[in-house]
Amino acid sequence: MNPFAENIRRVTRRQLFGHTATGLGAAALSSLLGGPAYGAAQAAGVSGFPNFPGKAKRVIYLWQGGGPSHIDLLDPKPTLERMAMQDIPESIRGTTRLSTMSSSNKKWPIVPAIKPFQKWGRSGTEISTLLPHLGSIADEITVVRSMNTEAVNHAPGVTFFLTGSQVPGRPSMGAWTTYGLGCETSDLPAFVVMTSSDRQKSCGQLFFDYYWGSGFLPSKYQGVRFRNTGDPVPYLNNPDGIDRAARRTLLDDIQAMNAAHLADYGDPETDTRIAQYEMAYRMQASVPDLTDLSREPQHILDLYGPDVKEKGSFANNCLMARKLIESGTRFVQLMHSGWDQHGNLHTQLEVQCRDTDQPSAGLVQDLQQRGLLDDTLVIWGGEFGRTPFGQGDPAKPNGRDHFGRAFSLWMAGGGVKKGHVHGATDEFGWNITEGKVHVHDHQATIMHLLGIDHTRLTHRYQGRQFRLTDVHGEVVKGVLA
Amino acid sequence: MDFNRDIRPILSENCYYCHGQDANHRKADLRLDRREAALAEKAFVPGDAEASELVKRLFSTDPDEMMPPPDSHRTVTPEQKAKLKQWIAEGAGYQPHWAFMPPVRPLLPLVENNPWPRNQIDHFILHGLEAHQLAPSPEADRTTLLRRVTYDLTGLPPTPAEVGAFIADASPVAYEKVVDRLLASPAYGERMAIPWLDASRYADSNGFQQDGDTFQWVWRDWVVRALNSDMPFDQFGTWQLAGDLLPGATTDQKIATAFNRNHLLNGEGGAIAEEQRNVVLFDRVDVTSTVFLGLTMACAQCHDHKYDPMTQKDYYSLMAGFNNIPESGTPTFYSSRIRVGPPVVELSTPEYEKGMAKLQQQEAELKTAAGPEWESRRNALQKEWEDQLIAAGKPEEDNWKRLILDVREAPADKPNKYAAGRVRTEFDDRRLSAVAGHDDIKKIIAAQSALRTYKAEELPRVMVMEETQPRETHILSRGNYEQPLEKVGFAVPAFLPAMPAGAPANRLGLAQWLFSPDHPLTARVQVNRLWQLYFGTGLVKTAEDLGVQGEPPVHGDLLDWLAVEFRDRGWQLKPMHRLLVTSATYRQSSRSTPALRQLDPENRLLSRGPRFRLPAMFLRDTALAVSGLLQPEIGGRPVYPYQPEGIWDSLAITKERDFTYPLSSGPDLYRRSLYTFHRRTVGPANMFDASVRQACKVRPDLTNTPLHALTTLNDPTWVEASRVLAAKLLATPGDTASRLSEAFRRITIRTPRPEDLTRLETMLNRQRQYFDQHPDKATAFLKTGAAPQDATLAAPEHAAWTALCLGIFNLDESLTRE
Repeated sequence: MNPFAENIRRVTRRQLFGHTATGLGAAALSSLLGGPAYGAAQAAGVSGFPNFPGKAKRVIYLWQGGGPSHIDLLDPKPTLERMAMQDIPESIRGTTRLSTMSSSNKKWPIVPAIKPFQKWGRSGTEISTLLPHLGSIADEITVVRSMNTEAVNHAPGVTFFLTGSQVPGRPSMGAWTTYGLGCETSDLPAFVVMTSSDRQKSCGQLFFDYYWGSGFLPSKYQGVRFRNTGDPVPYLNNPDGIDRAARRTLLDDIQAMNAAHLADYGDPETDTRIAQYEMAYRMQASVPDLTDLSREPQHILDLYGPDVKEKGSFANNCLMARKLIESGTRFVQLMHSGWDQHGNLHTQLEVQCRDTDQPSAGLVQDLQQRGLLDDTLVIWGGEFGRTPFGQGDPAKPNGRDHFGRAFSLWMAGGGVKKGHVHGATDEFGWNITEGKVHVHDHQATIMHLLGIDHTRLTHRYQGRQFRLTDVHGEVVKGVLA
Repeated sequence: MDFNRDIRPILSENCYYCHGQDANHRKADLRLDRREAALAEKAFVPGDAEASELVKRLFSTDPDEMMPPPDSHRTVTPEQKAKLKQWIAEGAGYQPHWAFMPPVRPLLPLVENNPWPRNQIDHFILHGLEAHQLAPSPEADRTTLLRRVTYDLTGLPPTPAEVGAFIADASPVAYEKVVDRLLASPAYGERMAIPWLDASRYADSNGFQQDGDTFQWVWRDWVVRALNSDMPFDQFGTWQLAGDLLPGATTDQKIATAFNRNHLLNGEGGAIAEEQRNVVLFDRVDVTSTVFLGLTMACAQCHDHKYDPMTQKDYYSLMAGFNNIPESGTPTFYSSRIRVGPPVVELSTPEYEKGMAKLQQQEAELKTAAGPEWESRRNALQKEWEDQLIAAGKPEEDNWKRLILDVREAPADKPNKYAAGRVRTEFDDRRLSAVAGHDDIKKIIAAQSALRTYKAEELPRVMVMEETQPRETHILSRGNYEQPLEKVGFAVPAFLPAMPAGAPANRLGLAQWLFSPDHPLTARVQVNRLWQLYFGTGLVKTAEDLGVQGEPPVHGDLLDWLAVEFRDRGWQLKPMHRLLVTSATYRQSSRSTPALRQLDPENRLLSRGPRFRLPAMFLRDTALAVSGLLQPEIGGRPVYPYQPEGIWDSLAITKERDFTYPLSSGPDLYRRSLYTFHRRTVGPANMFDASVRQACKVRPDLTNTPLHALTTLNDPTWVEASRVLAAKLLATPGDTASRLSEAFRRITIRTPRPEDLTRLETMLNRQRQYFDQHPDKATAFLKTGAAPQDATLAAPEHAAWTALCLGIFNLDESLTRE
């Protein structure tokens, strides 16, 4: 036995990974996949986090790309009914910045909600009848009706929500979360992303890697996107003709040579590589397990609605999200597009609601009956809302444009009030009148629910400390249970 | 106490945020970044620590009094407190920030171990080691050294012939000869281009929704050519920043300016062009300042920089140099695939002209055959369609009806050209086909469409800089383009040296300023990045930031020596590379011991050779090179090698274009990774840790995750390379042992020891056993990849050797640059 090998075993974790006194080195260990390469049950995040016990341990973000219409779904406005097709008064419009599709409009014809609202549950929260399944869990959720963003367009708007900056390149919320809190599984990624879109592909919103990027954090914190076609993770499957046992044999022989090389060169990176090859092998089994729905009982499948078995559907992704959360994944980001109704409001919005309503509500119910909802935070929302005035022929408007000044989303579980409505807008759904929640406030609140003080989870880059909320953000106390 | 080394980092990290140069955010009117200002507010009494307010506050435990205050979440350690106290006791002397003073060539330090140094670099490194009671490591063995330097200078492994020649060369300058050979190799330019492409966020598409493809690869080829010809760096930089402003600018000088046009370009519906144009301007300032100045100016977009002495006015004054380009901020539609934003340089080639002439001739022939009335016949058909559409009143045709009416109702002196064009295209592309007959007209329309597509897709249009649209530049309140404040003219940051006399107030003047001999940053920034290339970490670790918040250099004197050397050698890069790789420091073995790791955990003192995983692009190129699949052709249009099935499917949501991955065939599958099409929205899946090319990146990322393992074990690139290499091994005469030895040597370059051979034999035999039992699986395994299969080989044996090669490709030592 080479004497180096003996010594290497005695090298402590601190020496292997820690170069700083702050314990940031430990974060190096909480790698993409948790990385308990040295037998630790869990991989820790940055030392000192969480700052306090968080109500939520995990997050499922049901991203609704394109900008769901708050006017039609979550924020009822009877005045719009009365004033249908009249112009939004100038006193209300003011100098609001709008997209170039509307900014030179001469007419601002009011389009009321396309379907009626209804009071749901004991809480009596008003939600559109387009979302009956959400209505059925109204007593479990908080609807926020006072969201606000500066962005006027999709990509900058989504980037802002998910990374805190409109310009791509900052770490995403999931990256910050796993950086701060580490991971609870060694077989699956800590941060997983899945995408879906409306069947009709009616709006063409794309999802870019930087929506789940790690920015200037080490790349192991970036979200792993499970793809809908081919292998969920690139190169997950062995090449044709190689079965699991054959791969195991080859790995054993590779690892034997790597161990010899470790003894020769003494670089701890070699040891990490051995561990990562093992983890890759475990992932090859654990990821297909996730996609295998054969062991889910029918009544569970029914919760998620008729599309649940269709790979790549929002419903299928919702069920996968639950399975991931159950297996210890920290942050699941489902990216769904289909809410950009510029010219097909009266036909497409209803289709969109039908495809997403049941799976979203079903996920919340499924988590609840498993006792997971108490410490899992679920968020449903998009990058902005939509204009209370119609788009298209001013005499016959058939859509709505982007609108970031005021819009809605909902949250459930992990420390959020049940059966609650936060904030309010004026009678046109144009200006916030109460409880404004800016995007940075929303982010600060999510971090708070996870036990993270958003001003303290920082990373030094290019000479300054960066954080998700830039230099802004106030925790929204009103939504906390 | 040394202010720059010991004190400024503490003050900067803990105090400058509130007591620095940003006047809008300053608390208690106190600034600690300037001695006289700190003294004026009685922050400390030089020479009397106990009487100093700063010390009292620092050691206080009263939450209302203590500094930094509890809510700042900043803590000063007891050691740091002691340093500050001692510094005040010693008189509280300040020094200007080291990187803002021009470098002066230092004397070589004296060292004890005199025979060790091979060149000047080694004196500095050895001096540092001796100060820490460390000795350098022995020189790496010859094959390791050859492999290291070949990868570092060309991104490829040495060939067996090159290994043999080097081992056999008894000349005392055998290694230097190798270095000269590598520096002269065309692969040098390809390898050195990669970090430059990362820094300038080069990609082959715009990003965002339509993610239109671009022709910026023409610039990529220019970079490779310029590096291979060893264009001096001052010229290299000047052309890229201001080539268009040089007198009588050549096409190459204009192409070089694409450096500043490699940004993302947002053409989403509803995007506000002026907002996007400002995003582009910010990006240019950030890239220019990071790449050339090693400073991060982005903070000053919204307010005066909190740490570096840079004001918001400095930021916008620099931005004024990039603001006179005739650009809109969004890309222009050329075809559903190609979208580029003018200004562009169009680069016709003889091939292009030939193709164009052929299509034009076809069109002319069709027109002649159809007769002179063909156009009026076509117009009549279009009118017929329009009339029918209006009469039918189908709701799904409402948009077209509107456009047609817009054309018809437009005043004669103000025709609606946009609507007319849309209607005409719709008729030609989609409606005419529904009309029976008129085949001659249909053929003409098809020929015209082919001509348009050809012109849009085949004529390279490189986005470049052009100084032809003077605009006013204003300071923007918190970076908001809708809130302009004071107007500013072009200027370089006031805290740095002034522009050289006579330099024009534009980008050309900026370049002249950067390369003026007394500029404190330009040369330091570049040599630091050269150092990083070879040693993994720069002498200043924060290669993107040499400012006050950047890490102080480990060997400041060496950095200065190299900077002056670089400048005095006329900014020539190849001699600098040669100097670095021929040093004794570079030639050390990368073996480490627990003792070395204890004393120098990050190897910043360089008591051993640096060891790190090869970049993913090199790994792929290695698989291709070792198997003989690599196509050595240099430059040209990007290629589309193997990617996971459906790699761009997530983009297919947009109906505006086809996002099917156009997998290459034949030789284009095997070009160097540098030439792989880089889609900005979805980068190549098998190039892990490569820059995503969205923002400037000057520091490499080398992670170690299971996703890498899955890639090199399962990507068809590696499986195919293993199969081809295995076939070659089996075709050479020899026994199992000699073939195992050859396989190992080809991939790792090293000759296996007996114990390695034993392990390799086990690996092979266990794979043989598997494939002998499952010949069908052997056949399936061998089908991976497009390279032709050698049918004369028995499938199980060929498969076992393929698996063996795949195993060797995945060894830690194959993946690592020792």
